[in-house]
Parts: sequence; C-alpha cells; structure tokens
Amino acid sequence: MEYKVFDRTKPIGEFTAQPDDDLIICRCEEITKGEIRKAVYDGMYTINEIKRYLRAGMGLCQGLTCGRNVKDIVARELGISPAELEEATPRPPARPVTAKVYADCRGEED
Amino acid sequence: MKRYDLIVIGAGPAGLSAAIEGAKAGMRTALFDENEKPGGQLFKQIHKFFGSKEHKAKIRGINIGGELLKEAETAGVEVHLSSTVIGIYPEKCISVNRGDHIENYRAEAIIVATGAAERMIPFKGWDLPGVLGAGAAQTMMNLHGVMPGNKIVMMGTGNVGLVVSFQLLQAGCQVEALIDAAPRVGGYGVHAAKVARTGVPFYLSHTIVEAKGTDHVESVVIGQVDEKFRIIPGTEKEMEADTVCVAVGLNPMSQLVRMTGCEMKEVGGLVPACDEYGATSIPGIFAAGDVSGIEEASSAMIEGHITGLAAAKYAGWIEEDTFKTQVEERTASLEKLRQGMFAPQNKGKKIEKTDEGLPVSASLLERGYMDANEMETYPGVVKKEGVHPVIECSQNIPCDPCQEACPFGCIKVGERITDLPAVTEDSVCKNCGACVAACPGQAIFLVNEDEDGTYGTVTLPYEFLPLPQAGDRGKGLDRSGRPVCDAEVVKVQDTNAFDKTAVLTMRVPREYAMTARFFKKEV
Repeated sequence: MEYKVFDRTKPIGEFTAQPDDDLIICRCEEITKGEIRKAVYDGMYTINEIKRYLRAGMGLCQGLTCGRNVKDIVARELGISPAELEEATPRPPARPVTAKVYADCRGEED
Repeated sequence: MKRYDLIVIGAGPAGLSAAIEGAKAGMRTALFDENEKPGGQLFKQIHKFFGSKEHKAKIRGINIGGELLKEAETAGVEVHLSSTVIGIYPEKCISVNRGDHIENYRAEAIIVATGAAERMIPFKGWDLPGVLGAGAAQTMMNLHGVMPGNKIVMMGTGNVGLVVSFQLLQAGCQVEALIDAAPRVGGYGVHAAKVARTGVPFYLSHTIVEAKGTDHVESVVIGQVDEKFRIIPGTEKEMEADTVCVAVGLNPMSQLVRMTGCEMKEVGGLVPACDEYGATSIPGIFAAGDVSGIEEASSAMIEGHITGLAAAKYAGWIEEDTFKTQVEERTASLEKLRQGMFAPQNKGKKIEKTDEGLPVSASLLERGYMDANEMETYPGVVKKEGVHPVIECSQNIPCDPCQEACPFGCIKVGERITDLPAVTEDSVCKNCGACVAACPGQAIFLVNEDEDGTYGTVTLPYEFLPLPQAGDRGKGLDRSGRPVCDAEVVKVQDTNAFDKTAVLTMRVPREYAMTARFFKKEV
C-alpha cells in the first residue's frame, strides 16, 4: 500500500466546531469526534499520532470498533481518502492481556 | 517452545477447513481460537445455506459447523480453545494467552484465519446500552439463548441485517423497522421477502438520526436521506424501540497478519495482498477467509481448503501434482459461488436485468417484497390448474437445491446454478412440500389457485414457534405483511427431512391464492 505523506509546512486551516463534536467515537476511552478533529489541527496527521495523543484505540477493544471511524474523521479533516491513511502499527498483544499474565514468568524450555 | 508443522489461527469456517487439509497431508497441525467454542460464526448461523450440494446447500450453518469440527478431529487437528494468539513474530513464532499464562509456539507455516469484526456507524446515542452489532445480537440469541431486546430497529439491509432480522423474529422479538441509507436493499431479495411478509416495514434511503433514552435505548429517530446521505429536514420519525442492531458491514481483523510485515491492500478494508492460494508476501504466512476479503461462510470454507493445501505444499508435505488436482476442484467449486448478481465483481453495481434478460424487481429492492404484477415475469411463477409450485426467485444467486428437492422433476434450474429456477411445462406436482422446505430463501410456495370454486390453498415455509395446527384460523398476509384475507390452516408437515422448516398449508379465498404468502394466527 502507498500511503499519503504530508507536507506539514502547508497549513490546513483553522479548526471550526461542528454540531456533533460531542459524539463519542472511541467508546473504550471516551474520546469525542471534536477531540479527534481538534487533534488533527494540533498537528496529528497520522493514526499513530492520534492514538498516542488521545489514546483512541488503546482501550479494551484495541480499536476494533472505532479504528475505522477515527480514520474516516481524520481523513475528512485532511481532505484525503481514508485508504490513504496508514492504520496504527499493529503490535502484540493483539488483545488486552492482564498484567498478572505477564507477571507469570514460568520458565519455558526451548 | 513447542513446534508444529502448521499453525492455524482462528477456528471459523476458513480456519477449520485449512487445518483439515494440513492434518490430512500429515502435518502436525494446531488450531488456536480465542473463543470457548470453535466454529467462528458458523454455530450461530441457524439458517439453511445457499449454493449447491457440493457447498452443503440447504444445510443449516450450525450443522455444517458440527460436521467440519468432527472432520477436523478425525484428521487429527489439535484444537486449542480459549487460546488467544496475541502476537506473531519473525521465524513463524506466535504467542498465545491461555488462562493465566503465555505459551509460545513455532511452525513451518502459519495460516491466519482471524475473520472480521463488525463495523459501527456513530450516531447520536450510539453509545447507549441497547445499541449493538447485528452479529452480537445473533450471538446473544443463538449461542446464549438471550433475547437482545423486545422492539428492534435494524440498520442495514445486507444479508447480515436481513438474516438477523428474521432470526430476531424467530426469537420472539418485534422488528419495528429495517433501515438502510442506500436506496436499494443490499442483500438477497429472498431474504428481504421472508422478513417483509411477516409485516416488517423497510425504510430505504433512511438513516438513524438519534437513539434516545436515559440509561438505555427507549426510542429511535429515523430520517430520510438525500443522494448525498444528508438527512432531509422534516422527514424525521420517532419510533419506540429498546434495541438498535447495526449491520453496516464488516472489517477484516487483519491486526495479527499485519504483524508479520506482509504487504497489505485496501479492498473494502485492509487485507493482506495474497496470491490465489492465500500466500502472503511473507513466505510461509498464509491468510484465508474474511481476513483476506469479506465474503460468506461457504466461500470461506473452500478458501480454507485451498490455503491449507497451499501451506502443505509450501512445507513439502504434498507433491505439486496432488496440489494441482485438488486445488483445481476446489477452485471450480469456489467459482460457482462467486457468480450471479451478488458476486464480488458486481459489488456496488446497479443491476437492471437478470441473466435471462428479465427486469429486476424494483419493488423488491425498494420495499423488500415484489409487487404481484411483477411476479409473473419470472420463470418460476406460472399459473396452472391444480397444485403447482410458485417459485418467487427473481435474482441470479448461486443456489439450486430446489431442482434436486423435487422428486417429480417439476423444477429446473439448468446448467448454471445462478439461473432462475423454472417450473417445467408438463410436470405434475404431487404436493409433497419438499421444495418448500428445501429452498434456503424460503421463496417456494405450492399453490392451488382454485380448489372448489370458492377456496384456494397456499403451502408455505414456516419457521416460527409455536407451530400452528390444522384447524387454526387467522389471517393470510400478503407479501408486504398486510392482512388481506381470512385463512385456515389445513395441514402442517414437520418431518425430519424438512429439517425444522415446517410446511404449512392454509386455505384462503381463491382470489387471494396468488397474494397471501404468510399466516398469522388469530389471537
């Protein structure tokens, strides 16, 4: 996949409020559409940046529900197609794992 | 670190099929799934599947799942349940969370068959309890025996939305409305028709404006949309409902496969770029089923078999020749399913005519049921003396169990399984009901237009409990679900061969024999 690379020196305009900005998009972390839109104007142009800035997609569902919606919102603000935006880097654990599990360091023979 | 020859991630239709091929080839095969039960979505598919005999048509998904699981066990697949694969690492290693610890495994080849997750559309109030995915509602009903709610608004008229709406009705819920922002029904017309005839209204070119309620959904506001999907002011309508089911599509769950660093592409969701056998750009890493592109369970099973064979060949467990002959057979079978109006290559296209050159019913697409006057254009709908099948099948879909169901040769689909079924000219219907029960679309009726000068009879598929009994009186509903006449049940057949599709015969005034298509008991 070829993803869009942004020239960050070019201005994208000012954030303007929209009537549905209070709509929750990431349910796990309770992040609104307005927060995501604002983050774009704060300079977060990639999904990885949005994720680290707002924690969208870092909750229980790990972005399974909101991932696509966050992508759509960011793409619209940037005036590009959602397909041009790279998804957040996939990393283990793909599902939430309790700390207890990680603490269980029973030795494994190779 | 434990080693296997083949690791398959996801025990749905694709994963199970892939694991079967690997194990059959002699590979030590492990299949991991995060759920307590195997089968993926198969075990909640309580409806009869489409396709041909080779695709296990007219068998319910749940039973196909059972067969597949048995086959996997016989083949020697090690099935690990409640085992969540949390990461894939270089050198084909995986980490699995099992209970309170993590185990690591390694294999010669890995097949990722992680399926898909439901898409959600945010609207005002979508985070209220009572808003859920249609698949989630299906899980509640069909796996756990819990009704998701009483009054349901279904968003989405694709096959998932239509099939789950029908199952909600079967579970005893009231489906208040089926809504789609698109101007046309997205799923099979026959699925829409069987929902519409029970009286569920379809709202095409509509969307949900808001789900209202304090701590759960209490009502839903819908509104009509223009061609740019903007709500037309003044068209809003509020309806009482406690549940909103969302069936607006699926997202491939490609997070795990992406960890391998394989090349990806965008096809209605991010999927690994695979060759025709499911091999990704990383040698030894394969993908099958919805994770490599959303289709349905029958295709996923065939894809799984093909990918299983490819992985076996890659790791040197089967010869090129064996691979070729076996894959050829599977590919031919898959091609048959990928034909007709709903084939992947026709996605998003507006199809105006059937392969036979007949106009596609506009009413079916816009309201969920066919107008009576459109009906007679199709080869399955003929007028005859005595009892005869009326096949209300108007779209080219890959399905032909009706042809085989009739022991008297009354029904012919023809060479291609997507052709519209026709009632053969000089055949004599023996009124056995086999075709009525066999049609996965519940689109076949046996009609006697004139029994005695006053009454006619209509025999229809009936999958609701409690089953009406001979002598029950009620109303005959037309295709839109409107009560049009008095009706009396004269016979109910519920044999094992019909596999839980009861075949109900009702007597109606003869002028309604070609109109009445459902029975509602007087309460």
